[in-house]
Amino acid sequence: MSEDSGKKLTMVTCSAPVNIAVIKYWGKRDEELILPINSSLSVTLHQDQLKTTTTVACSRSFQEDRIWLNGKEEDITQPRLQSCLREIRRLARKRRSDGEADVDTAGLSHKVHICSVNNFPTAAGLASSAAGYACLVYTLSRVMGVEGELSVVSRQGSGSACRSMYGGFVQWIMGQQGDGKDSLAQQVEPETHWPELRVLVLVVSAERKPVGSTSGMQTSVETSSLLKHRADSVVPARMKEMIEAVHKRDFTAFAELTMKDSNQFHATCLDTYPPIFYLNDVSRRVINLVHRYNRHYRETKVAYTFDAGPNAVIYTLQQNVEEFVQVVKHLFPPETNGGQFLKGLPVAPTTLSEELKQAIGMEPMVKGISYIISTKVHRHTHIHTYTHAYIHTYIHTYIHTYIHTYIHTYIHTYTHTHTHTHTHTHRQHPPGPLPVSCASLRVGVVEGFGERA
Amino acid sequence: IKMPEDSGKELTMVTCSAPVNIAVIKYWGKRDEELILPINSSLSVTLHQDQLKTTTTVACSRLFQEDRIWLNGKEEDITQPRLQSCLREIRRLARKRRSDGEADVDTAGLSHKVHICSVNNFPTAAGLASSAAGYACLVYTLSRVMGVEGELSVVSRQGSGSACRSMHGGFVQWIMGQQGDGKDSLAQQVEPETHWPELRVLVLVVSAERKPVGSTSGMQTSVETSILLKHRADSVVPARMKEMIEAVHKRDFTAFAELTMKDSNQFHATCLDTYPPIFYLNDVSRCVINLVHRYNRHYRETKVAYTFDAGPNAVIYTLQQNVEEFVQVVKHFFPPETNGGQFLKGLPVAPTTLSEELKQAIGMEPMVKGICYIISTKAGPGPRVVEDPSEHLLGSDGLPKESA
Repeated sequence: MSEDSGKKLTMVTCSAPVNIAVIKYWGKRDEELILPINSSLSVTLHQDQLKTTTTVACSRSFQEDRIWLNGKEEDITQPRLQSCLREIRRLARKRRSDGEADVDTAGLSHKVHICSVNNFPTAAGLASSAAGYACLVYTLSRVMGVEGELSVVSRQGSGSACRSMYGGFVQWIMGQQGDGKDSLAQQVEPETHWPELRVLVLVVSAERKPVGSTSGMQTSVETSSLLKHRADSVVPARMKEMIEAVHKRDFTAFAELTMKDSNQFHATCLDTYPPIFYLNDVSRRVINLVHRYNRHYRETKVAYTFDAGPNAVIYTLQQNVEEFVQVVKHLFPPETNGGQFLKGLPVAPTTLSEELKQAIGMEPMVKGISYIISTKVHRHTHIHTYTHAYIHTYIHTYIHTYIHTYIHTYIHTYTHTHTHTHTHTHRQHPPGPLPVSCASLRVGVVEGFGERA
Repeated sequence: IKMPEDSGKELTMVTCSAPVNIAVIKYWGKRDEELILPINSSLSVTLHQDQLKTTTTVACSRLFQEDRIWLNGKEEDITQPRLQSCLREIRRLARKRRSDGEADVDTAGLSHKVHICSVNNFPTAAGLASSAAGYACLVYTLSRVMGVEGELSVVSRQGSGSACRSMHGGFVQWIMGQQGDGKDSLAQQVEPETHWPELRVLVLVVSAERKPVGSTSGMQTSVETSILLKHRADSVVPARMKEMIEAVHKRDFTAFAELTMKDSNQFHATCLDTYPPIFYLNDVSRCVINLVHRYNRHYRETKVAYTFDAGPNAVIYTLQQNVEEFVQVVKHFFPPETNGGQFLKGLPVAPTTLSEELKQAIGMEPMVKGICYIISTKAGPGPRVVEDPSEHLLGSDGLPKESA
């Protein structure tokens, strides 16, 4: 393709996952750098069901940085966005000054346009900031050619975003340093480690917007003496136990710790002044349901966890999914408005025994749950930041159709299995150097990123 | 009181009444199940018996074959361990007095059986912690019958922990004690009920859709499973007890109120940190909590405090000057059923109007039928003897009167 009238545009699109913590982060020791008072551990969910997609375009003809989130232009001067932009640019400049060749030196001073969408409704309260900032940072890094440890950057956008930089089971090590350089995410096990683990997100109708996490956890740190004790004395031991449970695929241990930690997090919210309530009557019913279900089988088959909102996230093993989904449908009968109650991975219907229904012994609560998303641990398709096509901007509209069909086919036929390496500094490198001059449109569509399995 | 002898039968009958108490620094968790020794101290306000009380008649006669007890009109199992603890302890103390040579003990009566009849002037279904009043009344009445004086809270404590605090009026602390035999785990009055006459109490009785987890098993599970509870008992409560006692001495309502709310929330936080978790607060409870915080925020002053026990009922503490407006606020945001039932009981509260500004500042949706009724009351005295013989709940045959 030939150069057009001197315009240069670099465009990269990436997607990033949501993660659900099983050992919770709640409370900062440093507001600006977003350093937590305790470590945390999460499970990365599959992007087929939940993901953020972000496109970053970089061009010398852009006047200023701009950002659009879910179709609406937002304020780019927001401090956390600025933190991420600043940090990525700083790392890019550092690479250049370190003499690493393949940095688009001109591009460093260019402005960026950022556009981001979720494939799930924001109103559902599904913690989109983690996926959002992870995606932003990752995409920026691809545009600016930054390699290496990136979770410290996304952490500065939103704490939990650092855990979305990896698939599978991820810990956010709290760190000790004041500069936050040792406060980063690390993969504990890849997503292939525990293929039977399944996740159900029960989206609960939220009647009132809950207290935002940032101010909520600030108030908790200021007022809850139980929180301090949790961070200092409880979480360190739980992190060890949880990591071991994950390594060993010990579902009982994993599940009990998950439930206890969710409850303890909410306990510290209640111990805040004024108290913060994220669990509502539906949440409590789900909790009671799980305990009764497990008690009936005399086995911890199902675990719940709740974040800063009423949605329940259920962890269970594959063999329990059908029955438990049926239990949820039975006790939280959906609206008959034709809306789809069960989304995501298909779940075959099944019948419940009378014995089970009686053992649970709860009254159905109509419309308590809006819908269920059935998903699992994030599994990579493949990861490439290769240049796929060189296309010029003057045929911009043409490009869009062209790229989409081209890339689409490309992705589907291009599947990889990669051997997993643990070190978080390991990043995929394109087989060849990236073009030095950003004389053409470079497109990469990344289905996943971070550690490969 | 000795009844006149009746054709050779000897019957001693005494009737007493005892109050309910509402803890502001909560008791939750035992270090000894049998002696009922707590893992932390607690502090409560004794409520006035005009609004809430247990009345108990104990009849003692050589003609009775066995101990018997009737509660709220129904005969109950006298062999229940905690009833037995109280009976045994009182009798032991009575025998001790006799052997110590104290004269006015009815030596014959010590071996006699007792009939006990007890009623509350509030519905049990309301979940208003009647066990404290009940055991306090039982122990106090037995002590009058058997001529036992002195420290009695250690006895009622063995019936129900919080019952020891109902042995005194006003502001009462239950000192947790250190000894294994529990002799130093007792209640002490911090200030009498006359100390703070402006302090008022509103009990908001909430419709309970499901019977909550009982306190005894609930606190046992908490002690076994909640790490936060241990920290609370060891590190938080001792300091709070000091602060609360000082707030009471100084009549510092702001400090009293904030500590009360924080301690209620922390208690419920430890319930949530229990495994499986225990929920006593429901959506109505949470609405009351939010209402109080918004009300206080509007005035930039802690005018009202809430506290919740092991159930959804809210107990509101406030000063007299705020009662009328706050009752109106409750009525506005929890509109009562229009079935003619009385929504406001107890001490009279004049109606008042709320400013639009206040309603908007609170900005909550009204929750119809969230609250069944309100009892308006205040701090009150400890247990007392009921002198009027027509109030005896047992007849001269030792059986419950028809009207009881």
